[in-house]
Amino acid sequence: MRRGAWHQCGHNSQKLVGELMQAGLGVGAIISPKDLALENAKEYSTEYRALGKGVLFDPQFYEPEFLAGKLGTYPTSAFRQSIGALGALQPSAISALTKALETENRELGCEAVIAPAITYEAARPDIVALNARLFDAAKAAGDAIGVPTYATVVLGNSTTTSDVAHSILSNATALNADGWYYACEFDAQERLPTDVEAVYRYGSAGLTLACTGKPVLHACAGPLANISYGAGARGVGLGIWQNLWGFNRARFQPATGQGGGGDAPPRYFSVPLWGTIVHPDETLQLSAAQQAQVMQHSPYSQGLGIGVSWPTWESRKHQVHMIATATEPLAQMVNARQAMTAAVAALRSANALHTAIRNTGIQLRDNTDTYQSPWAAAGTRMLAQNTDDYAWLELSGGP
Amino acid sequence: MAFIIPIDSARTQFPDYEFVAALTPSAQKSAFHVRRDGKDFCLKIIAPNQALDRVQREVLAMQALDHPNIVKVLEYEYSAKAGTARHYMVEEFVAGDDLSAHMTPGQGWEIAKIAAVFAPLCDGLVALETNKIVHRDLKPSNVRMRPSGVPVIIDFGLARLLDMASLTATIDGATIGTPAYFSPEQFKGTKRDIDHRTDLYALGVLIYQAAVGRHPSFQSALKTMDELSDAVCTSESYVNDAAFKALDPKLQLIVRRLLEKERAKRPASAAIVAKVLREMGGA
Repeated sequence: MRRGAWHQCGHNSQKLVGELMQAGLGVGAIISPKDLALENAKEYSTEYRALGKGVLFDPQFYEPEFLAGKLGTYPTSAFRQSIGALGALQPSAISALTKALETENRELGCEAVIAPAITYEAARPDIVALNARLFDAAKAAGDAIGVPTYATVVLGNSTTTSDVAHSILSNATALNADGWYYACEFDAQERLPTDVEAVYRYGSAGLTLACTGKPVLHACAGPLANISYGAGARGVGLGIWQNLWGFNRARFQPATGQGGGGDAPPRYFSVPLWGTIVHPDETLQLSAAQQAQVMQHSPYSQGLGIGVSWPTWESRKHQVHMIATATEPLAQMVNARQAMTAAVAALRSANALHTAIRNTGIQLRDNTDTYQSPWAAAGTRMLAQNTDDYAWLELSGGP
Repeated sequence: MAFIIPIDSARTQFPDYEFVAALTPSAQKSAFHVRRDGKDFCLKIIAPNQALDRVQREVLAMQALDHPNIVKVLEYEYSAKAGTARHYMVEEFVAGDDLSAHMTPGQGWEIAKIAAVFAPLCDGLVALETNKIVHRDLKPSNVRMRPSGVPVIIDFGLARLLDMASLTATIDGATIGTPAYFSPEQFKGTKRDIDHRTDLYALGVLIYQAAVGRHPSFQSALKTMDELSDAVCTSESYVNDAAFKALDPKLQLIVRRLLEKERAKRPASAAIVAKVLREMGGA
């Protein structure tokens, strides 16, 4: 597994991903079949691989009956059915699933197969058994192509205790996977998780997976990429859309027709704040000194001044650029413990800066100042309580 | 209750073998040291059971194994003729003694000896992992030590015949086999919770015993299965043992990982344990 930022493709993001990779950003792309028909995916994959980048394909079996978007253009669409029907598949049908997965991954030139999995309520015994069968089908596909197979592990929103998390992890790690495609679903009401216990649980789970000695790709990490490497990840998935910040099952359910943000002002991702600030509405309110501190520029925000219109697409490229480049040093650190120590320090600084801004009477939008402190607390707790995990990771040569 | 077949009766059933001695029976089998064509074997006559298809599948897998740290299974048969059933397996006879003969209560081994014995034992476990076989009953009496000091895992697969639901006997005097090496999931989980990491837990108990000179959970004060279950499933008091705390920190870490209650937290494979032990032992 390539170390570093993977572009998590979503709606209408493939060209942008290509542009960012052309500029040298990111190590690969994760294709989203919901958003891109197979024939187009093949073209983009060819383009990405010509840049020397990796390609992975997320089969998105999370809600298996969901067949909207472009999912129907893929061979595995024939297997999108109810959990009950999937569980009743005969061996011959599982073999056909293997063939479909092999076809998709081979045609896209994937450098690993990501196994389909029913990720919600993954602790249910019937789903555990089903996921084992789905994994076996994927492993057979990976073996046929000659590439590794990553098991998909998601801590769903219903994973509210460590016991449930352990159960999911114990079952997942029984699979003969070559790596882990790992994500966490948090409260859909929040842009980013603010519950220390939940973030600690997500981070500890990632560390547990890393301690197997197999690489972890933290899918849909978004700004959480800051602590992903400290939680044992080798790769992080970064997407331009905020609904790719965390695993959100609403993406795989029929749309309610409620959308938004069409005319919303662009958000400026600030590394020192480790969050977004609305530009220019909020950046205008900062003092000159605060502006200089907050606004660390990327190639997509150079020359950004007050009164200069900043296209939303440029703000999205800026966001991915800043998260990827800010977390790259963490990806390259000697070990996960060091990465987490650095991440906690950065989050504490971010929290201090937010506090300073609030003290001047400015309250930034989007709850952008609510998660830095909890994440720092969760990271601190991991450093204090997961010492055996970090020691084992170092002893066994990971991540 | 042990499954005992008198040696004379066994001789009648298996006239091709010269019977040397009866070995310790268990609930699953009656075992004998036998000879044929000048070679020594262990003949195990298997007690009647309800898990025939599983035993057959596993024995077939075991027969395919050829590893210096795993006993070689040479023959296996289940047949019924004229109302009489024959169900037996023949393994190589491993001369030497059990691992238990090398463990002295209150005395721990040096790290070099721990590495020399348990790294090869891990190699055997890796072979089982690779072939998707879970021993389920790893304990000192199921590890033979050749005169050369090479450990050999024996007697696996048959432990699955044990009816887990009937584990109500007291530990003291139990004749169904001691669960002192059972992992938490063997006490409380379903069958699907048992995988190769169950054997790694038992490995952790063995290493702890060898290094510290006593069992991490099983104390003489424990009288019932429930008490042992509680000690295994919830207690981590072993980490406070003075002799354990005096061990090399790396060895302590290995043992703590192997004895993790949750399977996900245990090492993914015995291979990494073997590697670290060898590095510690100077190999």
